[in-house]
Amino acid sequence: MAEKDDKPGGFSVSRRDFLKTAGVVSAVTAATSPAEADAQAAVNGVGPGNVPVRLTVNGKRVDLMIEPRVTLLDALRMRADLTGNKRGCDRGACGACTMIVDGRAVYACSTLAIECQGKEVRNVDGLATASGLHPVQQAFCDKDALMCGFCTPGFVMASVALLEKNPSPTPDQIRKGLDGNICRCGTFSRIFEAVSSVKGVTRG
Amino acid sequence: MASPNEPQAPGGQAPAPAPQPPQGGGRGGQAPAPQAQGGGRGPQAPPADPKYHWAPPHSSIGTHVKRLDGPDKVTGKARYTFDINRPGMLYGRIVRSPHPHARIVSVDMTAAQKAPGVKATHVWRDPTNTQRSSIVMFQGDEIAGVAADTEEHAIDAARLVKVEYEVLPAVIQVDQALAGNAPPVFAASGPALDTTPGTPRSNVRQGQTQETGDIAAGFKQAAQTLEQTYSTHVITHVCLESHGAVCEWDGDNLTAWVSTQGVFATKEGLATGLNIPSSNVRVITQYMGGGFGSKLGAQDPQTMICARLAKDAKAPVKLMLDRKEEHLATGNRPSAAARIKAGVAADGTLTAFDAESWGTGGAGAAAGFPLPYIYVFPNRRRAHKDVFINTGQQRPMRAPGHPQGSFITEVLMEELADLVKMDPVEFRIKNLPPEAPNAMWGQYLRQGAKEFGWDKRHPTGDPTPGPIKTGMGVAINTWGGGGNQGRAHVEIASDGMVIVRCGTQDLGTGTRTLVAVVAADTFGIPTTNIKPEIGDTMYPMSGGSGGSTTAAGISPAIRIATVNALDALKEKVAPALGVDAATLVAVNGRIQAKDNPSKGMSWADACKQIGAQPIAGDGAWQPGLSSATTSGVQFAEVKVDIETGIVKVVRVLALQDCGLVVSRLTAESQVYGGIVGSLNFALFEDRILDRNTGQMVNPNMEWYLLAGMSDIPKIDVRLMDQSERGVVGIGEPPTVPTAAAIALAVRNAIGVTVRSLPLTPAKILQTLAQRA
Repeated sequence: MAEKDDKPGGFSVSRRDFLKTAGVVSAVTAATSPAEADAQAAVNGVGPGNVPVRLTVNGKRVDLMIEPRVTLLDALRMRADLTGNKRGCDRGACGACTMIVDGRAVYACSTLAIECQGKEVRNVDGLATASGLHPVQQAFCDKDALMCGFCTPGFVMASVALLEKNPSPTPDQIRKGLDGNICRCGTFSRIFEAVSSVKGVTRG
Repeated sequence: MASPNEPQAPGGQAPAPAPQPPQGGGRGGQAPAPQAQGGGRGPQAPPADPKYHWAPPHSSIGTHVKRLDGPDKVTGKARYTFDINRPGMLYGRIVRSPHPHARIVSVDMTAAQKAPGVKATHVWRDPTNTQRSSIVMFQGDEIAGVAADTEEHAIDAARLVKVEYEVLPAVIQVDQALAGNAPPVFAASGPALDTTPGTPRSNVRQGQTQETGDIAAGFKQAAQTLEQTYSTHVITHVCLESHGAVCEWDGDNLTAWVSTQGVFATKEGLATGLNIPSSNVRVITQYMGGGFGSKLGAQDPQTMICARLAKDAKAPVKLMLDRKEEHLATGNRPSAAARIKAGVAADGTLTAFDAESWGTGGAGAAAGFPLPYIYVFPNRRRAHKDVFINTGQQRPMRAPGHPQGSFITEVLMEELADLVKMDPVEFRIKNLPPEAPNAMWGQYLRQGAKEFGWDKRHPTGDPTPGPIKTGMGVAINTWGGGGNQGRAHVEIASDGMVIVRCGTQDLGTGTRTLVAVVAADTFGIPTTNIKPEIGDTMYPMSGGSGGSTTAAGISPAIRIATVNALDALKEKVAPALGVDAATLVAVNGRIQAKDNPSKGMSWADACKQIGAQPIAGDGAWQPGLSSATTSGVQFAEVKVDIETGIVKVVRVLALQDCGLVVSRLTAESQVYGGIVGSLNFALFEDRILDRNTGQMVNPNMEWYLLAGMSDIPKIDVRLMDQSERGVVGIGEPPTVPTAAAIALAVRNAIGVTVRSLPLTPAKILQTLAQRA
């Protein structure tokens, strides 16, 4: 999975590497839940055609028939109409696709959907609740921490992941935590201000 | 837009697909060009009646109104073109040339047509058809398109398109293009562009030499002269949302969601290109992930191919480019270079300037830039040439030409200041134009120097021991930023809600918010009562959003429309209040007699008088509410590690005017963004080409470097209010001088001059090594 926390700008397993090693991974991973077992079976058994993939996104079940090569980002954007997170570079550099999978920020453009079965996926579409915006979203609006807004969903999710891990980050921790995201309009100063101002995010 | 195979008209000015953004004011800048597209009322409109003038006190204008579409953007609800999903929608993909220069012999779509999920194919550059040249001019030039049920299938099918090429020799770098034995860029059809002996006829377009004063006399007056070469590199726009469209046909009617800076120009472009009546085309751009000038094309190939695929497939098609295509084929900022000999008198007065300049905007596009930039050399000569190479054509990029002209001129200025041992700020003030529109630089330089702590600046070369050197730099800017077209329609409903329709588009600058702020200010009500409707050719015609013309183009139209609507509302409520309508004003959420507030009623009650049919008001741009030309000054402080060559920008101070500040929060954000864009230009971005194969080496976002959060300095923005000037745009000016200010701060820190961008660690170490 393309995790961002440990290596900003890098990732542990790329899409291509995953394709090469998928068989090995599935062989050595102990399935701990029926969903994971299904996932491994799918990886082992079929493709390159469509396979069933069951995701849990923002707490809701999403059942898809997709090719194993489809990324988490594309699966949600093109098959589930969850278009909040964006595709900017499609190779884990710009961060517009950032989602939270099992509590960790990942580049959804470089994470296979099929790899996320049995995991809790959160994207920006599910962040606000009936009672209003998430404190991070509110802070972005208050501080004008966005311009064109195309990077914003990724920045918001990266900020949420950062604050759920560390609700009181130092300025340097904020900078490091958001270094995996790029804003081409150049609103970094105000994003920094927004994230610095957020109070009341509970540890995830 | 001209075909890549047709060299554009000479003249040294940055070319632009219609509508053409003005080239900005200031010395050396080309005269602002009126936008080509008709509409609004244009520059010939009569001056606006005084009743429309911006009248303080303002309730919304100039305040920190939050971005109206902020909540939609932070929640992901905002639908960009990339996010439009239509029932039964297919995905398009373009087949592009891997070669920088080749003749297409044949295009075979058979295998692609049989591929899984493919519903339509289209040959864009068909060698059996004379409609479009069969020569591809750059890596990434468009050849064909496919549409399939999934994007994965479309990508697979595109790989199956068989293109036979006759590869032609290519020139990739300027020096290659200028070499005596260079292959011609425009081999097949190029007109004679240059007759300089030894240069291939089609690789260079020599502009006319511009000359003022007496060069020889100027150099005689000089106590010091300097001869150096300065240059800037090519960068690309990297809009985070790529170019692209979703096209959907209903019979012969086309609805196109396009990521474009000009919905009306695109509507015309589609109609012309598809040979259908323009009344059959509707273009929508609700949200856009940046444009920076690259999305002004009226007939971009991907839009045309998308429309044709959708027509053939009888289904909606989404065709969004990927990051590599963006770098290769959707424009760039042209390079700039100049060999300059300059003279300065002992008292610091500039005397002479003699420059030969050149630049490349790719295969056939111009590479003009203002030179010298702003400062006055009384005796000056400049000869410029555009050099053509086999790369994608340039497009306007945020303040076209100005960042290049600024860097070249400001570094020269700094070197001259050192020759006569003058403080750089005083040296600049001494050589500013005595008369220029809105020439505020002198005042801003003094004010900024004081705030920045310029008196603590050491002379060139930080004497502090150790590897970390600190330095300061300063540079100035100008830009036209006027607009002269825009129309608006306003409706006030009986529930008190106001709809403002204006067919402009929001690149991310905050246009939607600006629309609401102007309307709310007229009515004396909160912006939450205003619903701006923009980004659709169903709304009143507005110009393309380029050259900082949007705010100055549409604000007057909205002001006029809202005043007209308010007049109608006053007529409705005057009888109930028993006063003359002319005595009424709209303030603090009330309509009331100006001299007797008790004779009034709330906005809500006033609107209840309206009845079932809303009140409507219309407006079109008229002079008197906006103006052109901005001034700005920026200071930068850097730290340079002379062991690694790494530059860290510590802080930037910007003093910037833009006339009447309409939406303060978003205007400030524009300045922050402009500074970061220019920082990227100075330190990180670089389109790297392999000179042998013509391939771009870094067509992505990991090796095409861009600043991240840790690279951002402390930025202080001072908007200099000039409410009496009316509205002026602010998109371009703040991105002009930062790169030069950073480069000069680096020079001040390390004591040697880097005369080209970007300031990479390798280049800084190399320059330091050359001194040693």
